[in-house]
Amino acid sequence: MDAVSYSLGGEFVTTQVVAKMEETMQAFAVRAACFVGELDVPYSEEFDGRDFGATHLLAYVGREPVGTLRLRWFRSFGMPERLAVVQRFRGHNIGRLLLEHCCRLAESRGCNVLYSRAVPACLTYLEKQGWRCLEPERPAAVGGRTAAVVRSVDLAKPWPELDPIDALSLSREFRPEFPVLAAAHGRSVDSPAVGSRGWDAAGMPGVVI
Amino acid sequence: MNSDTPVDRRPASSNRPAVTIKLASTADELAQCYALRAAVYMGEQHCPYAEEFDGNDHSASHVMLYVEGEPAACMRIRWFAGFAKLERAVILRRYRSMGLFLPFTDWAKEFARRKGYSKVYLHSQERLWKVMEHDGFKRVDDTVFHFSDHRYAAFACDVEAGADCPTICTDPMVLNRPEDQLDRPGVLEKSMERGASNPHAAWTGRRVVN
Repeated sequence: MDAVSYSLGGEFVTTQVVAKMEETMQAFAVRAACFVGELDVPYSEEFDGRDFGATHLLAYVGREPVGTLRLRWFRSFGMPERLAVVQRFRGHNIGRLLLEHCCRLAESRGCNVLYSRAVPACLTYLEKQGWRCLEPERPAAVGGRTAAVVRSVDLAKPWPELDPIDALSLSREFRPEFPVLAAAHGRSVDSPAVGSRGWDAAGMPGVVI
Repeated sequence: MNSDTPVDRRPASSNRPAVTIKLASTADELAQCYALRAAVYMGEQHCPYAEEFDGNDHSASHVMLYVEGEPAACMRIRWFAGFAKLERAVILRRYRSMGLFLPFTDWAKEFARRKGYSKVYLHSQERLWKVMEHDGFKRVDDTVFHFSDHRYAAFACDVEAGADCPTICTDPMVLNRPEDQLDRPGVLEKSMERGASNPHAAWTGRRVVN
């Protein structure tokens, strides 16, 4: 288990990398609760076939799994996605804890940049944590498409040079095997501002850098 | 009851979606089952993880219902000596009001009946008591109990155990079949084509010597 970060109602809040079958199941259960149960995302979009090439993080309150995040690794950046915190545990910075763990993990691998796609409702939440929009124009707050966001792993260091080659490899990686999967990118459920169906149905990301 | 071809109960001219009911028989189908339960119990009813996944999942049968191939409902059945206990039945929110509940419990009852059970038992949340009575279930007694923040009562339904249900005198290869497909040859019957040649015997012997 990771170092104890703080306690919530007498229970310690911890985050860790998923390593066991049971923990994998817990991570999937949290995502199913948030995305399939709350946001009505179809099962086949939520579990999109990319779960077994990724690192999963879990947040616990005591022994209860309450939050998860999937981290995919690209050549020069990490991509956190599928951030979810169980409804009744929101508002306690658990999502932030997961994103911070994600930064530490990336740094330990020599990865300096995190990239993700966010629905407009999550942008403010992410910007408070050092993320910034890649595109000059912010998408419309409601019904807008997902926006590409990036974050330097260590905010104290100057922004690293981005290699334009990566833009191409990212574009290839993103081409969905099935058209339906394109809709599932860029969701996260931690910000209380996220409404139902808070993702962008036409949000297939193209070349972003 | 067949996993290969969807059980399509639609009239020929209907535009109702294709509904398939089958036993969860692969790791993928089990993952779908757990995801549906997490969605409904953890997501909607705020049940803690440890109460939802209570340790009985590995000693139970899991039934999946698909609508147009998409996982829509699931149910867990545990087998006691004299009765089958239906539990953890969920229908995903977007598939409610489609009339899936009764066909789904009917499938479970029929499944239990074919296995030779004459009684199906369940704990129903209070809001569903009328539905259960409509479905042929009767209160076992007046006791009302509660767990995981809900009030429950025990219901039971008699089913007429099939005359053709398996016994110890049934053809052993029939007993080897997938449980929801006892009426058709299974993969082990296909394996009989190879005879009792046991091609691995010599290999095993070498390993023992080492």
